[in-house]
Amino acid sequence: MNRNVSRIFAAFFGVLAITLPLFAGDYPLQVARNIMLYMALAITWDMLLRSGQISFGIAGLFGLGAYAAILGVIRAGMPAWLSILFAAVFSGVAAFLIGLLILRLRAMYFSIVTLALGEIFRIIVHNLHDFTGGPEGVVIQQGVIFGGNANKLYWLALVGLAVALAASTWFEKSKIHFALTAIRDNEISAKSSGIDIFRWLLLAFVVTSAIQGFLGGIFVQSYGFATPDTVFSADFTLLPLAMALLGGVYSTTGPVFGALLLGLVSEWLKLKIPYGHLVVYGIIIIIVILFMPQGLKQLVRRDAGKTEGRNA
Amino acid sequence: MIKLRTENLTRRFLGLVAVNKVSFSMDEGEILGIIGPNGAGKTTFINLISGIIMPTEGLIEYKGNDITYVPAHERARMGIARTYQLIHPMENLTLIENVMVGSIFAKGNGLKEARRKAEALCHELGLRGLDRDTSRLTILEIKKMEIARALANEPEVLFLDEVMAGLNADETKDLIATVQRIAMERHLAVGVVEHVMGVIRELTHRVIVLEAGELIAEGKYEEVSKNPRVIEAYLGGGAA
Repeated sequence: MNRNVSRIFAAFFGVLAITLPLFAGDYPLQVARNIMLYMALAITWDMLLRSGQISFGIAGLFGLGAYAAILGVIRAGMPAWLSILFAAVFSGVAAFLIGLLILRLRAMYFSIVTLALGEIFRIIVHNLHDFTGGPEGVVIQQGVIFGGNANKLYWLALVGLAVALAASTWFEKSKIHFALTAIRDNEISAKSSGIDIFRWLLLAFVVTSAIQGFLGGIFVQSYGFATPDTVFSADFTLLPLAMALLGGVYSTTGPVFGALLLGLVSEWLKLKIPYGHLVVYGIIIIIVILFMPQGLKQLVRRDAGKTEGRNA
Repeated sequence: MIKLRTENLTRRFLGLVAVNKVSFSMDEGEILGIIGPNGAGKTTFINLISGIIMPTEGLIEYKGNDITYVPAHERARMGIARTYQLIHPMENLTLIENVMVGSIFAKGNGLKEARRKAEALCHELGLRGLDRDTSRLTILEIKKMEIARALANEPEVLFLDEVMAGLNADETKDLIATVQRIAMERHLAVGVVEHVMGVIRELTHRVIVLEAGELIAEGKYEEVSKNPRVIEAYLGGGAA
Protein backbone atom coordinates (compact mmCIF):
# COMPACT_ATOMS: atom_id res chain seq x y z
CA MET A 1 0.00 0.00 0.00
CA ASN A 2 2.60 2.49 1.14
CA ARG A 3 4.94 1.26 -1.50
CA ASN A 4 2.33 2.10 -4.13
CA VAL A 5 1.80 5.55 -2.64
CA SER A 6 5.51 6.29 -2.79
CA ARG A 7 5.63 4.95 -6.35
CA ILE A 8 2.89 7.31 -7.41
CA PHE A 9 4.68 10.19 -5.72
CA ALA A 10 7.97 9.19 -7.31
CA ALA A 11 6.38 8.98 -10.76
CA PHE A 12 4.65 12.33 -10.29
CA PHE A 13 7.79 14.15 -9.23
CA GLY A 14 9.85 12.36 -11.84
CA VAL A 15 7.54 13.59 -14.61
CA LEU A 16 7.41 17.04 -13.02
CA ALA A 17 11.21 17.22 -12.81
CA ILE A 18 11.59 16.33 -16.48
CA THR A 19 8.81 18.56 -17.82
CA LEU A 20 9.46 21.58 -15.58
CA PRO A 21 11.69 23.44 -18.07
CA LEU A 22 8.87 23.25 -20.66
CA PHE A 23 6.61 25.62 -18.76
CA ALA A 24 8.58 27.18 -15.92
CA GLY A 25 10.42 30.48 -16.17
CA ASP A 26 13.93 31.26 -15.02
CA TYR A 27 13.03 31.98 -11.42
CA PRO A 28 11.21 28.70 -10.70
CA LEU A 29 13.97 26.83 -12.51
CA GLN A 30 16.53 28.53 -10.32
CA VAL A 31 14.56 27.55 -7.19
CA ALA A 32 14.22 23.99 -8.46
CA ARG A 33 17.97 23.77 -9.12
CA ASN A 34 18.68 24.90 -5.61
CA ILE A 35 16.29 22.40 -4.09
CA MET A 36 17.71 19.59 -6.19
CA LEU A 37 21.22 20.47 -5.07
CA TYR A 38 20.30 20.40 -1.38
CA MET A 39 18.20 17.29 -1.92
CA ALA A 40 21.18 15.49 -3.40
CA LEU A 41 23.39 16.60 -0.53
CA ALA A 42 20.76 15.49 2.00
CA ILE A 43 20.65 12.06 0.34
CA THR A 44 24.43 11.64 0.51
CA TRP A 45 24.47 12.70 4.15
CA ASP A 46 21.81 10.11 4.92
CA MET A 47 23.72 7.41 3.03
CA LEU A 48 26.64 7.69 5.44
CA LEU A 49 24.30 8.07 8.39
CA ARG A 50 22.94 4.60 7.64
CA SER A 51 26.23 3.28 9.03
CA GLY A 52 25.69 5.32 12.19
CA GLN A 53 28.30 7.96 11.34
CA ILE A 54 27.07 11.54 11.64
CA SER A 55 29.10 13.74 9.32
CA PHE A 56 29.28 17.51 9.55
CA GLY A 57 31.71 17.55 6.67
CA ILE A 58 29.37 17.98 3.70
CA ALA A 59 30.42 21.59 3.11
CA GLY A 60 34.09 20.56 3.28
CA LEU A 61 33.90 17.95 0.54
CA PHE A 62 31.41 19.96 -1.49
CA GLY A 63 33.68 23.00 -1.38
CA LEU A 64 36.73 20.92 -2.14
CA GLY A 65 35.02 19.61 -5.27
CA ALA A 66 33.92 23.13 -6.19
CA TYR A 67 37.49 24.41 -6.03
CA ALA A 68 38.86 21.34 -7.81
CA ALA A 69 36.45 22.04 -10.67
CA ILE A 70 37.01 25.76 -11.00
CA LEU A 71 40.78 25.52 -10.65
CA GLY A 72 40.73 22.63 -13.10
CA VAL A 73 39.23 25.00 -15.64
CA ILE A 74 41.27 28.08 -14.80
CA ARG A 75 44.68 26.55 -14.01
CA ALA A 76 44.63 23.39 -16.10
CA GLY A 77 42.36 24.43 -18.96
CA MET A 78 39.95 21.54 -18.47
CA PRO A 79 36.64 21.60 -20.33
CA ALA A 80 33.75 22.26 -17.95
CA TRP A 81 32.28 18.74 -18.10
CA LEU A 82 35.65 17.20 -17.33
CA SER A 83 36.21 19.56 -14.42
CA ILE A 84 32.97 18.31 -12.82
CA LEU A 85 34.13 14.72 -13.06
CA PHE A 86 37.51 15.80 -11.77
CA ALA A 87 35.76 17.38 -8.78
CA ALA A 88 34.14 14.03 -7.95
CA VAL A 89 37.43 12.16 -8.22
CA PHE A 90 39.27 14.80 -6.20
CA SER A 91 36.80 14.75 -3.31
CA GLY A 92 36.64 10.96 -3.48
CA VAL A 93 40.40 10.56 -3.28
CA ALA A 94 40.62 13.16 -0.50
CA ALA A 95 37.92 11.27 1.41
CA PHE A 96 39.79 8.02 0.92
CA LEU A 97 43.00 9.42 2.40
CA ILE A 98 41.19 11.22 5.22
CA GLY A 99 38.99 8.20 5.83
CA LEU A 100 42.03 6.01 6.41
CA LEU A 101 42.82 8.29 9.33
CA ILE A 102 39.44 9.19 10.78
CA LEU A 103 37.15 6.22 10.20
CA ARG A 104 38.41 4.60 13.39
CA LEU A 105 36.67 7.40 15.26
CA ARG A 106 33.09 7.05 16.37
CA ALA A 107 30.13 9.13 17.46
CA MET A 108 30.90 12.76 18.30
CA TYR A 109 34.63 12.32 17.75
CA PHE A 110 33.97 11.48 14.11
CA SER A 111 31.43 14.29 13.81
CA ILE A 112 33.74 16.92 15.24
CA VAL A 113 36.63 15.91 13.04
CA THR A 114 34.45 16.10 9.92
CA LEU A 115 33.27 19.54 11.05
CA ALA A 116 36.90 20.61 11.33
CA LEU A 117 37.65 19.28 7.84
CA GLY A 118 35.51 21.93 6.16
CA GLU A 119 37.24 24.64 8.16
CA ILE A 120 40.68 23.27 7.34
CA PHE A 121 39.93 23.18 3.60
CA ARG A 122 38.49 26.68 3.75
CA ILE A 123 41.55 28.06 5.52
CA ILE A 124 43.91 26.33 3.11
CA VAL A 125 42.04 27.80 0.13
CA HIS A 126 42.02 31.17 1.86
CA ASN A 127 45.77 31.17 2.29
CA LEU A 128 47.02 29.63 -0.96
CA HIS A 129 46.41 33.03 -2.46
CA ASP A 130 48.39 32.68 -5.66
CA PHE A 131 46.82 29.40 -6.65
CA THR A 132 43.27 29.68 -5.34
CA GLY A 133 42.69 33.41 -5.50
CA GLY A 134 42.53 33.66 -1.70
CA PRO A 135 39.52 35.21 0.02
CA GLU A 136 38.39 37.03 -3.13
CA GLY A 137 38.03 33.72 -4.90
CA VAL A 138 38.22 32.98 -8.60
CA VAL A 139 35.99 33.67 -11.57
CA ILE A 140 35.69 31.81 -14.85
CA GLN A 141 36.34 34.65 -17.29
CA GLN A 142 35.03 33.06 -20.42
CA GLY A 143 33.42 29.86 -21.58
CA VAL A 144 30.92 29.50 -18.72
CA ILE A 145 29.19 26.16 -19.06
CA PHE A 146 26.19 26.21 -21.45
CA GLY A 147 26.64 29.97 -21.73
CA GLY A 148 24.58 30.29 -18.55
CA ASN A 149 21.44 28.90 -20.24
CA ALA A 150 18.90 28.34 -17.43
CA ASN A 151 17.33 25.27 -19.05
CA LYS A 152 20.62 23.52 -19.54
CA LEU A 153 21.82 24.37 -16.05
CA TYR A 154 18.60 22.83 -14.80
CA TRP A 155 19.41 19.58 -16.63
CA LEU A 156 22.88 19.63 -15.14
CA ALA A 157 21.47 19.94 -11.61
CA LEU A 158 19.04 17.14 -12.40
CA VAL A 159 21.96 14.92 -13.40
CA GLY A 160 23.56 15.66 -10.00
CA LEU A 161 20.36 14.65 -8.24
CA ALA A 162 19.97 11.54 -10.39
CA VAL A 163 23.47 10.39 -9.44
CA ALA A 164 22.69 10.81 -5.72
CA LEU A 165 19.36 8.99 -6.12
CA ALA A 166 20.95 6.13 -8.03
CA ALA A 167 23.74 5.74 -5.48
CA SER A 168 21.29 5.84 -2.60
CA THR A 169 19.10 3.21 -4.21
CA TRP A 170 22.16 1.06 -4.81
CA PHE A 171 23.02 1.38 -1.11
CA GLU A 172 19.49 0.35 -0.20
CA LYS A 173 19.08 -2.61 -2.50
CA SER A 174 22.49 -4.23 -2.33
CA LYS A 175 24.44 -5.91 0.41
CA ILE A 176 25.76 -2.49 1.38
CA HIS A 177 22.41 -2.01 3.11
CA PHE A 178 23.10 -5.04 5.29
CA ALA A 179 26.67 -4.00 6.02
CA LEU A 180 25.84 -0.43 7.01
CA THR A 181 22.75 -1.32 9.04
CA ALA A 182 24.60 -4.06 10.89
CA ILE A 183 27.44 -1.65 11.66
CA ARG A 184 24.99 0.96 12.91
CA ASP A 185 23.09 -1.50 15.08
CA ASN A 186 25.98 -3.41 16.56
CA GLU A 187 29.58 -3.42 15.48
CA ILE A 188 30.51 -6.48 17.50
CA SER A 189 27.77 -8.62 15.99
CA ALA A 190 28.69 -7.23 12.60
CA LYS A 191 32.30 -8.39 12.98
CA SER A 192 31.16 -11.81 14.12
CA SER A 193 29.17 -12.11 10.92
CA GLY A 194 32.26 -11.48 8.85
CA ILE A 195 31.77 -7.78 8.12
CA ASP A 196 34.98 -5.84 7.61
CA ILE A 197 33.67 -2.69 9.27
CA PHE A 198 36.47 -0.36 8.26
CA ARG A 199 36.24 -1.33 4.60
CA TRP A 200 32.49 -0.68 4.36
CA LEU A 201 32.74 2.61 6.20
CA LEU A 202 35.51 3.66 3.86
CA LEU A 203 33.39 2.72 0.85
CA ALA A 204 30.41 4.71 2.15
CA PHE A 205 32.57 7.71 3.03
CA VAL A 206 34.35 7.76 -0.34
CA VAL A 207 31.18 7.32 -2.41
CA THR A 208 29.21 9.99 -0.55
CA SER A 209 32.16 12.39 -0.57
CA ALA A 210 32.73 11.88 -4.29
CA ILE A 211 29.10 12.73 -4.97
CA GLN A 212 29.37 15.79 -2.73
CA GLY A 213 32.44 16.85 -4.72
CA PHE A 214 30.56 16.20 -7.96
CA LEU A 215 27.72 18.46 -6.76
CA GLY A 216 30.29 21.09 -5.78
CA GLY A 217 31.62 20.92 -9.32
CA ILE A 218 28.14 21.36 -10.77
CA PHE A 219 27.45 24.25 -8.39
CA VAL A 220 30.62 26.13 -9.23
CA GLN A 221 30.21 25.61 -12.98
CA SER A 222 26.65 26.87 -12.78
CA TYR A 223 27.67 30.12 -11.16
CA GLY A 224 31.09 30.53 -12.72
CA PHE A 225 32.86 31.67 -9.58
CA ALA A 226 33.98 30.44 -6.18
CA THR A 227 35.04 32.10 -2.97
CA PRO A 228 35.98 30.20 0.19
CA ASP A 229 33.05 31.66 2.07
CA THR A 230 30.44 30.71 -0.51
CA VAL A 231 31.46 27.15 -1.37
CA PHE A 232 32.49 26.15 2.15
CA SER A 233 29.41 27.82 3.64
CA ALA A 234 27.96 26.05 6.68
CA ASP A 235 24.61 26.09 4.84
CA PHE A 236 25.82 23.19 2.72
CA THR A 237 26.22 21.14 5.89
CA LEU A 238 23.27 22.34 7.94
CA LEU A 239 20.46 22.58 5.41
CA PRO A 240 20.85 19.06 3.99
CA LEU A 241 21.05 17.72 7.52
CA ALA A 242 17.87 19.55 8.51
CA MET A 243 16.10 18.32 5.37
CA ALA A 244 17.01 14.71 6.01
CA LEU A 245 15.92 14.95 9.63
CA LEU A 246 12.66 16.58 8.61
CA GLY A 247 11.82 13.94 6.03
CA GLY A 248 13.08 11.02 8.08
CA VAL A 249 16.48 9.40 8.01
CA TYR A 250 17.80 5.99 6.87
CA SER A 251 16.09 5.99 3.49
CA THR A 252 16.06 7.74 0.15
CA THR A 253 12.49 8.95 0.41
CA GLY A 254 12.95 10.82 3.70
CA PRO A 255 15.63 13.26 2.52
CA VAL A 256 13.81 13.71 -0.80
CA PHE A 257 10.56 14.82 0.82
CA GLY A 258 12.34 16.78 3.53
CA ALA A 259 14.28 18.72 0.92
CA LEU A 260 11.21 19.33 -1.20
CA LEU A 261 9.21 20.66 1.71
CA LEU A 262 11.89 22.67 3.44
CA GLY A 263 13.22 23.97 0.14
CA LEU A 264 9.83 25.30 -0.93
CA VAL A 265 8.93 26.63 2.50
CA SER A 266 12.23 28.44 2.88
CA GLU A 267 11.90 29.98 -0.57
CA TRP A 268 8.45 31.23 0.33
CA LEU A 269 9.66 32.50 3.71
CA LYS A 270 12.52 34.34 2.04
CA LEU A 271 9.93 36.38 0.17
CA LYS A 272 7.65 36.91 3.17
CA ILE A 273 10.22 37.63 5.86
CA PRO A 274 13.54 38.54 4.25
CA TYR A 275 16.45 37.69 6.56
CA GLY A 276 14.00 36.34 9.12
CA HIS A 277 13.34 33.14 7.24
CA LEU A 278 16.17 31.23 8.91
CA VAL A 279 14.54 31.73 12.32
CA VAL A 280 11.30 30.16 11.12
CA TYR A 281 13.34 27.47 9.47
CA GLY A 282 15.08 26.71 12.76
CA ILE A 283 11.79 26.57 14.61
CA ILE A 284 10.38 24.07 12.13
CA ILE A 285 13.38 21.84 12.63
CA ILE A 286 13.18 21.99 16.43
CA ILE A 287 9.47 21.15 16.36
CA VAL A 288 10.06 18.22 14.05
CA ILE A 289 12.89 16.82 16.12
CA LEU A 290 10.94 17.16 19.34
CA PHE A 291 7.61 15.79 18.16
CA MET A 292 8.46 13.63 15.17
CA PRO A 293 11.85 12.09 15.82
CA GLN A 294 11.31 9.78 12.84
CA GLY A 295 10.61 12.73 10.57
CA LEU A 296 7.62 13.14 8.29
CA LYS A 297 7.97 9.53 7.25
CA GLN A 298 6.38 8.76 10.60
CA LEU A 299 3.10 10.15 9.30
CA VAL A 300 3.15 7.88 6.29
CA ARG A 301 4.33 4.75 8.01
CA ARG A 302 2.22 3.99 11.05
CA ASP A 303 4.32 1.23 12.56
CA ALA A 304 7.52 3.24 12.18
CA GLY A 305 7.20 4.36 15.78
CA LYS A 306 8.42 1.02 17.07
CA THR A 307 11.69 0.66 15.31
CA GLU A 308 13.54 3.28 13.40
CA GLY A 309 12.16 3.55 9.93
CA ARG A 310 13.35 1.08 7.46
CA ASN A 311 12.64 2.07 3.95
CA ALA A 312 8.90 2.50 3.51
CA MET B 1 40.87 -34.24 14.77
CA ILE B 2 41.78 -31.07 16.62
CA LYS B 3 39.90 -28.06 15.27
CA LEU B 4 40.98 -25.40 17.68
CA ARG B 5 43.59 -25.10 20.36
CA THR B 6 45.19 -22.45 22.49
CA GLU B 7 48.53 -22.37 24.20
CA ASN B 8 49.20 -20.23 27.26
CA LEU B 9 46.51 -17.82 26.14
CA THR B 10 46.67 -14.73 28.33
CA ARG B 11 44.85 -11.44 28.46
CA ARG B 12 45.64 -8.73 30.95
CA PHE B 13 43.53 -5.63 31.51
CA LEU B 14 45.92 -3.26 33.29
CA GLY B 15 46.57 -5.11 36.56
CA LEU B 16 43.86 -7.72 36.16
CA VAL B 17 44.69 -11.00 34.47
CA ALA B 18 41.32 -11.96 32.99
CA VAL B 19 42.62 -15.05 31.19
CA ASN B 20 45.83 -16.59 32.47
CA LYS B 21 47.89 -19.10 30.47
CA VAL B 22 44.97 -21.19 29.29
CA SER B 23 45.85 -24.12 27.05
CA PHE B 24 43.04 -26.24 25.68
CA SER B 25 41.84 -27.92 22.53
CA MET B 26 38.57 -28.83 20.87
CA ASP B 27 37.92 -31.74 18.55
CA GLU B 28 35.59 -31.98 15.62
CA GLY B 29 32.14 -33.12 16.76
CA GLU B 30 32.87 -32.36 20.39
CA ILE B 31 30.60 -30.36 22.68
CA LEU B 32 32.77 -28.76 25.31
CA GLY B 33 31.43 -27.06 28.43
CA ILE B 34 33.23 -23.98 29.70
CA ILE B 35 32.26 -23.36 33.30
CA GLY B 36 33.45 -21.37 36.27
CA PRO B 37 32.16 -18.85 38.78
CA ASN B 38 31.21 -15.32 37.80
CA GLY B 39 34.21 -13.31 36.71
CA ALA B 40 36.27 -16.43 35.97
CA GLY B 41 37.08 -15.17 32.48
CA LYS B 42 34.79 -17.39 30.39
CA THR B 43 33.43 -14.64 28.20
CA THR B 44 36.86 -13.02 27.85
CA PHE B 45 38.17 -16.41 26.76
CA ILE B 46 35.53 -16.64 24.02
CA ASN B 47 36.18 -13.03 23.06
CA LEU B 48 39.85 -13.91 22.57
CA ILE B 49 39.06 -16.93 20.45
CA SER B 50 36.54 -15.08 18.27
CA GLY B 51 38.92 -12.13 17.92
CA ILE B 52 36.71 -9.50 19.55
CA ILE B 53 39.70 -8.73 21.77
CA MET B 54 43.35 -9.59 21.18
CA PRO B 55 45.48 -11.59 23.60
CA THR B 56 48.39 -10.18 25.55
CA GLU B 57 50.32 -13.43 25.15
CA GLY B 58 49.88 -16.94 23.87
CA LEU B 59 48.77 -18.73 20.75
CA ILE B 60 45.46 -19.59 19.08
CA GLU B 61 45.52 -22.23 16.38
CA TYR B 62 42.58 -23.09 14.13
CA LYS B 63 42.87 -26.14 11.88
CA GLY B 64 46.65 -25.96 12.28
CA ASN B 65 46.93 -22.27 11.36
CA ASP B 66 48.08 -19.57 13.74
CA ILE B 67 45.18 -17.11 14.03
CA THR B 68 46.30 -15.37 17.23
CA TYR B 69 46.14 -11.89 15.71
CA VAL B 70 43.70 -12.44 12.82
CA PRO B 71 40.85 -9.86 12.96
CA ALA B 72 37.41 -11.00 14.11
CA HIS B 73 35.66 -10.68 10.74
CA GLU B 74 38.25 -12.90 9.09
CA ARG B 75 37.89 -15.52 11.80
CA ALA B 76 34.15 -15.47 11.13
CA ARG B 77 34.89 -16.21 7.47
CA MET B 78 37.31 -18.99 8.38
CA GLY B 79 34.55 -20.75 10.29
CA ILE B 80 34.58 -19.58 13.90
CA ALA B 81 31.15 -18.39 14.98
CA ARG B 82 29.63 -17.39 18.28
CA THR B 83 26.62 -16.00 20.05
CA TYR B 84 26.67 -13.34 22.74
CA GLN B 85 25.70 -13.51 26.37
CA LEU B 86 24.16 -10.07 26.13
CA ILE B 87 21.98 -10.50 23.09
CA HIS B 88 22.54 -7.96 20.36
CA PRO B 89 19.95 -8.32 17.64
CA MET B 90 20.38 -5.86 14.81
CA GLU B 91 17.16 -4.05 15.53
CA ASN B 92 16.90 -2.30 12.20
CA LEU B 93 16.98 -5.59 10.35
CA THR B 94 14.16 -8.13 10.42
CA LEU B 95 14.54 -11.65 11.79
CA ILE B 96 15.41 -13.13 8.40
CA GLU B 97 17.73 -10.26 7.53
CA ASN B 98 19.64 -10.76 10.78
CA VAL B 99 20.27 -14.34 9.78
CA MET B 100 21.19 -13.38 6.21
CA VAL B 101 24.07 -11.16 7.33
CA GLY B 102 26.44 -14.00 8.14
CA SER B 103 25.66 -15.74 4.88
CA ILE B 104 26.31 -12.57 2.88
CA PHE B 105 29.53 -11.46 4.53
CA ALA B 106 31.10 -14.58 6.01
CA LYS B 107 30.28 -16.79 3.01
CA GLY B 108 30.05 -14.18 0.26
CA ASN B 109 26.60 -15.27 -0.92
CA GLY B 110 24.39 -13.01 -3.02
CA LEU B 111 21.23 -11.64 -1.45
CA LYS B 112 18.89 -14.21 -3.01
CA GLU B 113 21.08 -17.14 -2.10
CA ALA B 114 21.58 -15.74 1.41
CA ARG B 115 17.82 -15.39 1.89
CA ARG B 116 17.21 -18.93 0.72
CA LYS B 117 19.84 -20.30 3.08
CA ALA B 118 18.63 -18.14 5.96
CA GLU B 119 15.08 -19.38 5.42
CA ALA B 120 16.27 -22.95 5.55
CA LEU B 121 18.18 -22.28 8.76
CA CYS B 122 15.24 -20.56 10.42
CA HIS B 123 13.01 -23.42 9.36
CA GLU B 124 15.46 -25.91 10.82
CA LEU B 125 15.44 -24.05 14.14
CA GLY B 126 11.66 -23.76 14.15
CA LEU B 127 11.54 -20.00 13.64
CA ARG B 128 8.45 -18.54 11.97
CA GLY B 129 7.26 -15.08 10.99
CA LEU B 130 10.59 -14.32 9.43
CA ASP B 131 9.78 -10.78 8.35
CA ARG B 132 9.09 -9.59 11.88
CA ASP B 133 11.12 -6.87 13.55
CA THR B 134 13.38 -8.25 16.24
CA SER B 135 11.55 -6.15 18.83
CA ARG B 136 8.57 -8.48 18.45
CA LEU B 137 10.41 -11.73 19.14
CA THR B 138 10.22 -13.78 22.33
CA ILE B 139 13.40 -14.54 24.27
CA LEU B 140 13.47 -18.08 22.90
CA GLU B 141 13.07 -16.76 19.36
CA ILE B 142 15.88 -14.27 19.85
CA LYS B 143 18.15 -16.98 21.23
CA LYS B 144 17.34 -19.16 18.24
CA MET B 145 17.89 -16.26 15.90
CA GLU B 146 21.31 -15.73 17.45
CA ILE B 147 22.15 -19.37 16.83
CA ALA B 148 20.82 -19.17 13.30
CA ARG B 149 22.89 -16.07 12.70
CA ALA B 150 26.02 -17.83 13.91
CA LEU B 151 25.21 -20.89 11.78
CA ALA B 152 24.77 -18.69 8.72
CA ASN B 153 28.56 -18.29 8.77
CA GLU B 154 28.62 -22.06 8.06
CA PRO B 155 31.10 -22.46 10.92
CA GLU B 156 33.18 -25.42 11.96
CA VAL B 157 33.59 -24.13 15.48
CA LEU B 158 30.69 -22.57 17.38
CA PHE B 159 30.65 -20.90 20.78
CA LEU B 160 27.39 -20.42 22.65
CA ASP B 161 27.69 -17.90 25.46
CA GLU B 162 24.83 -18.55 27.88
CA VAL B 163 22.16 -19.17 25.28
CA MET B 164 19.98 -20.94 27.82
CA ALA B 165 19.89 -18.04 30.28
CA GLY B 166 16.39 -16.68 30.79
CA LEU B 167 14.60 -19.69 29.30
CA ASN B 168 12.09 -21.86 31.19
CA ALA B 169 12.51 -25.61 31.63
CA ASP B 170 10.65 -26.63 28.46
CA GLU B 171 12.41 -24.07 26.32
CA THR B 172 15.77 -25.16 27.73
CA LYS B 173 14.99 -28.76 26.89
CA ASP B 174 13.99 -27.77 23.38
CA LEU B 175 17.16 -25.78 22.84
CA ILE B 176 19.45 -28.50 24.24
CA ALA B 177 18.00 -30.97 21.73
CA THR B 178 18.39 -28.41 18.96
CA VAL B 179 22.04 -27.72 19.77
CA GLN B 180 22.81 -31.43 19.95
CA ARG B 181 21.19 -32.10 16.61
CA ILE B 182 22.92 -29.17 14.93
CA ALA B 183 26.31 -30.15 16.29
CA MET B 184 25.92 -33.75 15.22
CA GLU B 185 24.63 -33.06 11.72
CA ARG B 186 27.33 -30.52 10.98
CA HIS B 187 30.19 -32.22 12.85
CA LEU B 188 30.68 -28.97 14.71
CA ALA B 189 33.01 -28.37 17.59
CA VAL B 190 30.82 -26.51 20.05
CA GLY B 191 31.94 -24.56 23.12
CA VAL B 192 29.15 -23.92 25.61
CA VAL B 193 29.33 -21.41 28.44
CA GLU B 194 26.50 -22.05 30.86
CA HIS B 195 25.69 -21.48 34.50
CA VAL B 196 22.96 -24.08 34.72
CA MET B 197 24.81 -27.28 35.56
CA GLY B 198 21.93 -29.45 34.40
CA VAL B 199 22.46 -28.11 30.90
CA ILE B 200 26.20 -28.75 31.04
CA ARG B 201 25.61 -32.30 32.27
CA GLU B 202 23.16 -33.13 29.51
CA LEU B 203 24.77 -31.32 26.66
CA THR B 204 28.52 -31.62 26.93
CA HIS B 205 31.01 -34.41 26.34
CA ARG B 206 33.78 -32.72 28.28
CA VAL B 207 34.17 -29.71 30.54
CA ILE B 208 36.89 -27.21 31.30
CA VAL B 209 36.74 -25.13 34.46
CA LEU B 210 38.08 -21.61 34.72
CA GLU B 211 38.67 -19.76 37.93
CA ALA B 212 40.20 -16.28 38.15
CA GLY B 213 41.34 -16.68 34.56
CA GLU B 214 43.12 -19.99 35.07
CA LEU B 215 42.14 -23.43 33.84
CA ILE B 216 41.84 -25.42 37.06
CA ALA B 217 40.20 -28.64 35.91
CA GLU B 218 39.29 -30.57 32.80
CA GLY B 219 37.39 -33.79 32.12
CA LYS B 220 33.93 -35.30 32.06
CA TYR B 221 31.30 -33.37 33.97
CA GLU B 222 30.86 -36.17 36.53
CA GLU B 223 34.58 -36.16 37.36
CA VAL B 224 35.02 -32.42 37.34
CA SER B 225 32.03 -31.81 39.58
CA LYS B 226 33.66 -33.95 42.29
CA ASN B 227 37.02 -32.21 42.00
CA PRO B 228 37.71 -30.46 45.36
CA ARG B 229 39.29 -27.45 43.66
CA VAL B 230 36.21 -26.93 41.53
CA ILE B 231 33.88 -27.25 44.52
CA GLU B 232 36.01 -24.75 46.39
CA ALA B 233 35.99 -22.33 43.45
CA TYR B 234 32.21 -22.42 43.34
CA LEU B 235 31.57 -22.27 47.08
CA GLY B 236 34.38 -19.80 47.74
CA GLY B 237 37.59 -20.65 49.58
CA GLY B 238 36.74 -18.57 52.64
CA ALA B 239 33.34 -20.12 53.18
CA ALA B 240 34.53 -23.69 52.88
